[in-house]
Amino acid sequence: MISLRAYRSDVAAGARTMAPWLAGVVPFGLVIGVSAAHADIPTVAGWLTGPLIYAGSAQVATIGMLDAGAAPVVVVASALIINIRLIFYSATMARYWRGTPWWWRLVAAYLLVDPSVAVGLNGYRRLSRGRAHAHYFGGAVLLWVSWLAAIGAGATVGAGLPAWLHLEFVMPLFLVGEAVPKLANPAQRRAIFAAAAVALLALSAPLQLGIALATAVGVTAGLTVRPDEPGHSPHPLQPTVEVLR
Amino acid sequence: MNTWIIIMAAGLGSYLFRLSMIILTSRIAMPPYLERASGLVTPAAFAALAAAGVAAACSGLGITQAAAPLVAVAAAIMAVLRTGSSQAAILAGMPALWVAIPLLPS
Repeated sequence: MISLRAYRSDVAAGARTMAPWLAGVVPFGLVIGVSAAHADIPTVAGWLTGPLIYAGSAQVATIGMLDAGAAPVVVVASALIINIRLIFYSATMARYWRGTPWWWRLVAAYLLVDPSVAVGLNGYRRLSRGRAHAHYFGGAVLLWVSWLAAIGAGATVGAGLPAWLHLEFVMPLFLVGEAVPKLANPAQRRAIFAAAAVALLALSAPLQLGIALATAVGVTAGLTVRPDEPGHSPHPLQPTVEVLR
Repeated sequence: MNTWIIIMAAGLGSYLFRLSMIILTSRIAMPPYLERASGLVTPAAFAALAAAGVAAACSGLGITQAAAPLVAVAAAIMAVLRTGSSQAAILAGMPALWVAIPLLPS
């Protein structure tokens, strides 16, 4: 039984639990919005990656590859490969949503992304099932609204800024900033260096296939690191549960 | 296929991923190597996009000013290492780029 009205205090509690996550999510959304405004695609299309794809990393890849003129199949495949972790999140939440109405599963699944999984699990581990649904919903909706607002704000502000600011360089710098802390993990370090090297070597590859090839090589290289190697993350999904990846 | 259809296709696929296990089953064990691979996709994709983006920025500025993006990247890396915050990359890298471009001969 889903009754958000009866558990209004849990909806609010879920939103409060989500609030600290917004400190990381909102700047990320702003960067995506600015990039969308400066990419060679309609700004509205860039913003639309928010409600449609609703996962930052895949949105970054989609906007970046569309801007670079990559082949459609390559763009879609890259976004989906990045989002493959959503299948794991789906499996994680499935046990809690078994027996719920279809409308709930369709809506709750749409809102499924790294922070909403974290906030949702926080509720499902402490509260009764009905209250936990409300807790998840409160957090997930706040996240969704904040994400779309941040991308919209970035796109609006970014479009009006002068060319000498070179805002097209915000995204590469953002990606560098995301990659550097991951160098501490041996498998991710190997993946990052291999992917970057192949991306540079394959700059002239047709249809921007270099990015997809570099990603595949990077993942393969990372998998060659033994899981028991010192510094290896015990669970690969752990580092990704940070912001709206 | 135009931009809109590409974004809709990526969005539809992402939604089906979200819905997949909720519809199919509540408990399924993923192969361990797939779980490990999923944790590597984002760092690898980001590194590839970053390298290609920096290379594109360098080539767009001409031979002499091409060093400016590299200066910005170096500043970004140092800032992230120093602060531990990913966001420091933009806060340090963009001003470094703005300073480096006029200093280098065009």
